[in-house]
This record gives sequence, structure tokens and C-alpha cells, in this order.
Amino acid sequence: MASIKLKGDTSGEVTIQAPSVAGTNTLTLPATSSTLATQNSLGVRNLIINGDMRINQRGNYSTTVNGTGVFYSVDRWLGRGKASAGVFNILANSSLGEQPDRFTNHVVLDVTTASTPTSNDSYSFQQFIEGYNISKLNWGTSAAKSITLSFWAKSTLTGTFGGSVANGDYNRFNPFSYTISAANTWEYKTVTITGDTSGSWSTTNGNSMRVIFSIGAGSGRLGTAGTWTSSVLEGVTGQTNHIATNGSNLRITGVQIEEGTSATPFEHLQFGQQLALCQRYYEKSYDINTAPATNATKGLELVAGTIDANQNFYQTVRFAVPKRANPSINFYKSDGTANTWRYDRSGASNQSGTPSVGDNGDSSFYMRIPSTGATWVVATMSGQWTANAEL
Amino acid sequence: MSYKLVKFENKITGVQHTADNGLITHIPFDPANTDYQEYLEWVAEGNTPEEEE
Repeated sequence: MASIKLKGDTSGEVTIQAPSVAGTNTLTLPATSSTLATQNSLGVRNLIINGDMRINQRGNYSTTVNGTGVFYSVDRWLGRGKASAGVFNILANSSLGEQPDRFTNHVVLDVTTASTPTSNDSYSFQQFIEGYNISKLNWGTSAAKSITLSFWAKSTLTGTFGGSVANGDYNRFNPFSYTISAANTWEYKTVTITGDTSGSWSTTNGNSMRVIFSIGAGSGRLGTAGTWTSSVLEGVTGQTNHIATNGSNLRITGVQIEEGTSATPFEHLQFGQQLALCQRYYEKSYDINTAPATNATKGLELVAGTIDANQNFYQTVRFAVPKRANPSINFYKSDGTANTWRYDRSGASNQSGTPSVGDNGDSSFYMRIPSTGATWVVATMSGQWTANAEL
Repeated sequence: MSYKLVKFENKITGVQHTADNGLITHIPFDPANTDYQEYLEWVAEGNTPEEEE
């Protein structure tokens, strides 16, 4: 067993030792001057949440992206497209034997209606990153740090593909490219992106960074890789557009963004840790594996109390995880009916009321069911809720 | 699609958005909430929300 020993001037030493078995191990040092132990290897490295696509609180196993809005899939990830043109589905895949090594989940970006993108058309799979989580990068200043994006990809098509890193204000863009060499084969990709010394990058709870994987874009949304610009660019010039080929798909998992110029192995957080990170942006009363708006009694908020002089019945609901911002709330009855909760009082059982929200904070909300048809009588009410504080 | 202001104890505390599919979303007056940002854009286009009676 060979080893190299470095001794300090007065005391201490470091030993680098090669194993006495066959095989080659590589210790990769940062390309820029820094200290290896503290540059990016300690603590939480990955700025992406749910990069391994495991958390799916919405129960969206097939999300159709057929408009310019935001279509959420697995937690924190969304699709954007174009109405009445190309359409793709985001499929949540957890099938055994279909994952890259060390992963249990991925998403399939599956083109169901082909369209050749023109001008400013753009189809993409994205994650928005909160300012608090990237403030250490110093973007928008002369001290901006580089980042490295790494991910696993598998595609039915080969060639050059693209994406972009953009700011939340949508006026700073840096396209990136990667190559798929073999069809239908998982490949590990890394891309280093120089930090942006200009532009506005939130350092608080706003949308600070958009990580965009392009499924296809017109020439007006394509540009040169590795160059910061204020032009809206969501892919790289010359890229292959999945959206132009019906039935083609791109599979992605293991997405990681970290400070520095080299990629480290994917940071596998424990399930509970990752879930809590996701719940800062979206939470529900339902069990984790129960999709909202389904018939379910597990998770029901159930309260007993008194209807007041104005026929209102009130309740406060607390979140398991404080939210990024005061969230939007949706209500469901236990049978899955939207916009209603059940209340029961003397002389009126299993009634449906339409809740409304009063004071709504990042840790709780205050709600009521009005017009219960009685005053100062004992009652119960129950129902499910979702809270959305996405970026 | 419509918006209606919500009143709690004579104070307007938020706005309800009713989507085309009938789903009602309860939106707080928080500038960091993206639904509220969309509501502000809707108002800036010259629209006016309903008021709760």
C-alpha cells in the first residue's frame, strides 16, 4: 500500500494513501483557488429541492403541459409550454429497473403532440429557487460564485440539448448545452455556469433563480451557451427539440446545483428532510400518498365548538412547516368535493358549508364556515385543505 | 374566472379566486404570494373584483 505523507512545519501531518486493491480513485481538486474542505463539500450542497423527484405531494403522476401557465408535477418542479400547439406530459416514474444507479424516481417529459417551435415558442421543465437559498452565491455582484449543474438524463433522441439558468425577474439568462450520445441510455451530465455579476437576484423569499431544461424552443428563445444576456433565452442555438418529435421523451433525475466548478455526487437527503423542504412551498392535510380532492378521511381537520351570534363557525389551522410566504388555500370535503367542508349541528347533520379564510399567515390560517342557520349551538366541522406558497 | 374580496369582521382580509373549473382559491394580501401577484396584474388591466356582501 503506497502513501504520501505531508508534515506540518511544527506539528501535524496529512496522509494520502492509495488502496492495495485493483482500481483507480481520483481526488479532484477545485479548478479555482479555494479550500477543498470548505468550498462546497460541507453541509447541504444542493440548491435544488427534490432533485431526485421522490416527493409528489400533489399526486401528479401525469401532468399535461398544454399552456403558457405553470403546471406543477412532482414537488417543486413544473412544466411550461404553449396553448394549442405542442403538448407534453410530465410523468412521475418510480418503476424498479428503470432508474439510474442509486435513484428510485425520475420524471419522463413525454411529447404527446408534436410541434416545430418557431420564433418565441418555448417548452420547458423548470424549478424556481428561493433567494434565501442562493444568497451565498453573491450573484448580481462582482463577487459572484460559479455554480455547477449536474443531472442524469436519458433520451429517445441523441444530439445536443439545452437549457438555461435565469433570474426570477426573467431578465438575466445564461443558456447551457449538453450532449446525449446514446439513445435510451442513462447518462450523467455536468455543466458549470459562471456567476452573474449583473442583474437582480433576490436574496430573500422571492423567486431568485430559474433552472430551465428545454424541451424545445424557437430561434427567438435560443442563444449561445455560457454567455449572460438580458434577452429571454431558454435553450441553446442548434439544440435538438424533443417537442418536434411526437412520442419522443427526455427522462431526468438527480438534479443538483452546487457552488463551485466541479460536480460532487448527488446529495441523497433523507425522505423526511426532503419532504420538509418541499412543505415550505406546498403542504396538505391529506396523508403524504393521498392526492388532494380524493375521497379520504385520514388527515381530516375536525373541530368541535360553538356557532356564534352571526351563524359563523371558526377554526385555526396550523402548518407542519412555516411557509415561504402567506399561502393560498383550497378546501375539500372528505368525499373530495372542492370548496366545501362538512358541518353538523343540532337539527342539521352532514351539511356542506363554503369556507373562507380570514387572517392567513406563514404558519397558520384562520377560517370560518358562514351561514350555518343557527346561533350559539354546539357544532362540529371537518374537511381537508391544501396550502400553496410556490414561487 | 372571477375574483371576490373577502370580509372578516368588517375588514377585507383577502380575495377569493374562482377558476373556470369552479375551484375557489383563497388568496392572502401578501406581495410574495404568486396568486396575489396575478391578482394585482388582473386589477392593473382595469378589472374590478366583486365585493362580499
